[in-house]
Amino acid sequence: MAFYIARRLLATIPVLFVLSVIVFLIIYLIPGDPAAVMLGDGASPETIETLREQMGLNLPLLPQYGRWIGHALQGDLGDSFFMRQPVRTALAEHLGPTLSLAVLAELVAIVIALPLGIRAASRRGELADKTLTGFSLFGITVPGFVLSMFTVLLFSVQLKWLPVSGYKPLSDGLWMHLKYLILPALSLGIVQASLLARVTRSSMLDVLNESFVKTALAKGVGERGIVYRHALRNALLPILTVIGGSFGTLIAGAAVIESIFNIPGMGQLLVNSVQRRDYAVIQGVVLFVAFAYVLVNLVVDLLYAIVDPRIRLK
Amino acid sequence: MSAEPILQINELKTHFHTERGRVTPVDGVSLEVGRGEIVGIVGESGCGKSATAQSVLRLFDEKRLASYEGEIRFGGRDLLGLTPKQMRGVRGNEISMIFQDPLSSLNPVYTIGGQIVETLRLHRPIGRKEAAAKAIELLRLTGIPAPERRAREYPHQLSGGMRQRVMIAIALACEPRLLIADEPTTALDVTIQAQILELIQDLNRRLGMSVMLITHDLGVVAETCSRVVVMYLGQVVESGDVRDVFKAPLHPYTIGLMKAVPRLDGDRKQELPDVPGSVPPLHQIPQGCRFAPRCAFADDKCRSAMPELAALPGSDTRVRCWHAGRIAGTED
Repeated sequence: MAFYIARRLLATIPVLFVLSVIVFLIIYLIPGDPAAVMLGDGASPETIETLREQMGLNLPLLPQYGRWIGHALQGDLGDSFFMRQPVRTALAEHLGPTLSLAVLAELVAIVIALPLGIRAASRRGELADKTLTGFSLFGITVPGFVLSMFTVLLFSVQLKWLPVSGYKPLSDGLWMHLKYLILPALSLGIVQASLLARVTRSSMLDVLNESFVKTALAKGVGERGIVYRHALRNALLPILTVIGGSFGTLIAGAAVIESIFNIPGMGQLLVNSVQRRDYAVIQGVVLFVAFAYVLVNLVVDLLYAIVDPRIRLK
Repeated sequence: MSAEPILQINELKTHFHTERGRVTPVDGVSLEVGRGEIVGIVGESGCGKSATAQSVLRLFDEKRLASYEGEIRFGGRDLLGLTPKQMRGVRGNEISMIFQDPLSSLNPVYTIGGQIVETLRLHRPIGRKEAAAKAIELLRLTGIPAPERRAREYPHQLSGGMRQRVMIAIALACEPRLLIADEPTTALDVTIQAQILELIQDLNRRLGMSVMLITHDLGVVAETCSRVVVMYLGQVVESGDVRDVFKAPLHPYTIGLMKAVPRLDGDRKQELPDVPGSVPPLHQIPQGCRFAPRCAFADDKCRSAMPELAALPGSDTRVRCWHAGRIAGTED
């Protein structure tokens, strides 16, 4: 097990390296001189030259990368030109809302999708199965922003149970924090759940057709034992993969939902920075999100090993 | 055979209700397994031997796929009349089953010991510790070296033969009166095959446990069984004492199967004869005798009317063939 973890950790190093190179080069993917673009049309050549100097754009590419990655490894992602604050601070401020929202949305997805998918597989053709088909069609076809507007109309405008939009940090109290996140989490979670439920169903169906399920039946195990003890754990790998993927997506920030509910998360930060050509922030957000993705996948890999001894003991 | 058989199957029919209509892989099978007896069931793939075996434990999905007719008498009850809950009490407890491929038949995410403990605790009111100790005993009984260590291992860490021994240990956990072995050696190496068969025979003798052995290998039957049931397309075509059937097979299908067994003293240059043709699919069952299209003896009568399974005068072997008398040499 320790060996497995060590190998997985080592395997992330080249991924992170390639990633950092790509993120670093983002600045050159955009046409024009970054400094000139940032300063706008009215800037004098002297001002542009000063900024180029500050940003290190006059150095050759390799030393430039070296300087940037050296700082990044120490947690210094540069300063936001527009916000006049370190990128690190901006990230930290926007991470909280996104993380809360992502965790909550993923929980919504899991709570809906797993029971539904499991029941649909063990009772295929019956009510649960048909519910799943209808639900996932709904989740795939109805876009998140439409869904969120309807939930706002129902729960905020009509029933007045929950606030229309906004965000309150956890320090204002748990309920206050959750109250503002329930509707966006529901809108995001339902969309994620539709995919997760389908994957759960098909993975469970595959496992229920395996020979060891027949053995369990021949041992006298009842339906619940077959489904939950014998089948579910074996069906978990694809389910974990999808959960990991969807959580990674949520960490990247749900720009649309965030702007509908006015939540100051990563999605908003990224969209705003792109509009302002705030390169350091764009690089910082993309680097952070990619890093989070790698981290989530690492956690998923470790969960694989816990669930399936064949992976652990290879 | 002793007085009362432990398992008596009467006119069993197993229907599968598929999207393309109803098929009947087991079509009126009657057979018996006596106390302490090993009965072999043979036939090519698709002959319904496995379906018959699984029907005894009612392993098919009765909600969506299968329905049964007839009678399966075991321990004074008709298994087909039991509730699902009563049936669970029979499975793994009074009747156990082992399967063809021991790797895919064991749950990959649980330890060997845990899978034995599960069966024990399903049917016996014993604690975890006691069950774990019993599991190690069972592993030892089936000839697994270092059972304490093996009990903590997972199926993929064991060899094929070891896995089948584990399957047998799981099957034996609750001291069943009948073991159904569905092609238990087909997926194993030849030398391991012999060991597993020896183990099954040994357990049969020592524990007095009856065995229903499904196989397509007549050699296995000759070595291990006292009686044999030959199946073709969901029906029994011949059944009787192993010695009688091997000495004088009466059904053309049995004769064909026996010719297809390689012999040490046979002519090595000559190609091994097989039964011509192949088993037709279940939705294309021929008229009359089901074997007629592949049979060298077939005539118009065979192609129009189905013969009954019956014993010839002065014989204990039961056979389903219009020409059995001629084959036996007792009539022209």
